[in-house]
Amino acid sequence: MDVREFLKTASLAHGVSGFEFMDIASVARDAMEGLVDEVQVDVLGNVIGVKYGQGPQPRPKIMLAGHMDEIGLIVTKIEEGGFLKFAPVGGVDQRVLPAHEVIVYGKRPLTGVIGVKPPHLTSPEEARKAHKMEDLFIDTGLPEEEVRNLVRVGDVVTFKRQVSELMGDRFSGKALDDRAGVAVILVCLDELRKYKVDADVYAVATTQEEIGLRGALVSSYGIEPDIGIAIDVCHGETPGVPEWRTASVGKGPALAQGGNIHPKVFAALEKAAKEIGVKVQNEIAPAATGTDAWAIQVTRAGVATGLVSIPLRYMHTSVETLAISDVEDAGRLLARFIASVDAGFVKELKTWI
Amino acid sequence: MKDLIKRLTETFGPSGSEGPIREVIRKEVEPYVDEIRVDALGNFICFKKGSGGGKKVILDAHMDEIGAIVTHIDENGFLRFANIGGVSPVISLGQRVYFENGTFGVIGCEKLDDIKDLKLEKLYIDIGAASREEASKKVKVGDMAAFFQPAIDLGNRMVAKAMDDRIGCVVVIEVLKRLKQTAHDIYAVFASQEEVGLRGARVAAYGINPDVGIAFDVTGTGDTPKSHTMDVSLGKGAAIKVKDSSLICHPGLRDYLVKLAEENGIPYQMEVLERGGTDSGAIQLTRAGIPAGVISIPSRYIHSPCEMVDLGDVEACVKLCVAACESPLDF
Repeated sequence: MDVREFLKTASLAHGVSGFEFMDIASVARDAMEGLVDEVQVDVLGNVIGVKYGQGPQPRPKIMLAGHMDEIGLIVTKIEEGGFLKFAPVGGVDQRVLPAHEVIVYGKRPLTGVIGVKPPHLTSPEEARKAHKMEDLFIDTGLPEEEVRNLVRVGDVVTFKRQVSELMGDRFSGKALDDRAGVAVILVCLDELRKYKVDADVYAVATTQEEIGLRGALVSSYGIEPDIGIAIDVCHGETPGVPEWRTASVGKGPALAQGGNIHPKVFAALEKAAKEIGVKVQNEIAPAATGTDAWAIQVTRAGVATGLVSIPLRYMHTSVETLAISDVEDAGRLLARFIASVDAGFVKELKTWI
Repeated sequence: MKDLIKRLTETFGPSGSEGPIREVIRKEVEPYVDEIRVDALGNFICFKKGSGGGKKVILDAHMDEIGAIVTHIDENGFLRFANIGGVSPVISLGQRVYFENGTFGVIGCEKLDDIKDLKLEKLYIDIGAASREEASKKVKVGDMAAFFQPAIDLGNRMVAKAMDDRIGCVVVIEVLKRLKQTAHDIYAVFASQEEVGLRGARVAAYGINPDVGIAFDVTGTGDTPKSHTMDVSLGKGAAIKVKDSSLICHPGLRDYLVKLAEENGIPYQMEVLERGGTDSGAIQLTRAGIPAGVISIPSRYIHSPCEMVDLGDVEACVKLCVAACESPLDF
């Protein structure tokens, strides 16, 4: 499993929340083929790879959730002159939008730019303020008539951004939140070949996480797992951000603790990491983790959840940056954890402490 | 249809107190459906059996409306209240309200030094009582009030309170009346408690477990002076929703509705609503997921007592829904 190669493809693929079927879903599906026994797609477009275990029936069911959707934009209006007005899908930072290249997914993909007034024509007062999203627009360079022919209100837009392989093993690009989580799942599935596994594993590339954990909510209902582990990103250490809110990039995945996390799942993940010599960091989540784990936990009569996070800098920009080694370590520790799950452990999870 | 719109919008029914509106709808639809029932959350569910070989389809419109709930009666008989759903203090000022038992009141305001201090907690309802004792004979804490405004006929357009979403109810009722032949089992859900979090539709959809859900609700427009940017206008047809805060509509169903509109010459517009949700958001996330879409009725001044719709748009929504019910829905 080549994490770099997968992340290059996955980062460039498009898949704004709710529109994953247009591209990234097939990337995830293709990557899972060969690593699992079967692949299903549900009503909300979740891609579910099932790898059956060898334990006695009823086998434990473990769901792994990494969301494949990305934040982006959606066209709200075609203005005179063919300029496109837009709204965010998910948590888009309006301050980083100006001068961005984008791709508009109309009848065919169109490259566009988010233009702004030149500094020469901007007053000093204006220049001190960030551009507001409602004042920005996309310019595709095409005449209005052609734009109207190719683009429809409701078409989605992604950021156009090549990946960059930085120094060391740092990797930068768009949508690594949370294509990195999908990569972790693939590493884990690959690694599982080394183990004898009792449990059935449901590897899910979830949809619509960025707009309310919606894919995880319905897929966990359908799967009805005993254990649900979300793999997502957490904030990497960044100048100007307090240390306690971040984890170090390149020093191993972070294991979350708090009400959203079953204490016994946390302990078992920590133990698995120790057994294979993977360094982990802490992520303290006093309440909602804001990840798929939050939706999975309250599915049906309740699911024991865990959360493994990849430290990532500049979240929700098109230059999200992580360390490849953290992705690999997370996949290895998850495989070890899954191999340790048996019917006895699942029974223990039926109580909180 | 104008008469039906007038009757439905002028009926009482804030979220959780949908009794009166449910009865009006019951009388209207009873001759056209096979079974009716009311569930634990007050949803009014009408079943119309299909000829077979079709799908289980929910047609949803919420029958509740925004309003006020009494939180305290002071010694002089003034009522303090909290909002039921999205009630703006600016719009509430100077309005008349009424309770289910027919008691009327007007909304007054404390003295404000700055209009920016206008918040719901500065407002009160005055029912004309001189004391707590007198007020308590007519109203008690927990009672709900609705805005009072008669519907106005402007010709091609109508204005009323609670057009959100009685106009959706009108669309679904008209569809039940006009629908002669369908393969699908139709569940018309007149949902409760939409304005307080899509709660009625959530449990109705769980109970029915449909193959498809389509909601009919109002959506905003961008066609008024210096309005928010939105490419929906009054009078330009049914709005086929792509996205709002509560859901991204099933792309297959969305494109299928577009195709039906084009084939049948029904005017339509694509809709992206930046703020606000609809029952389909709850329906979509039911159980392991349900394909869900929305056909919206464009409306100006939503959540005011003067919500305006265009009757041509309403007609387009009815026609599109009838076309959908008569089609195989094989998106």
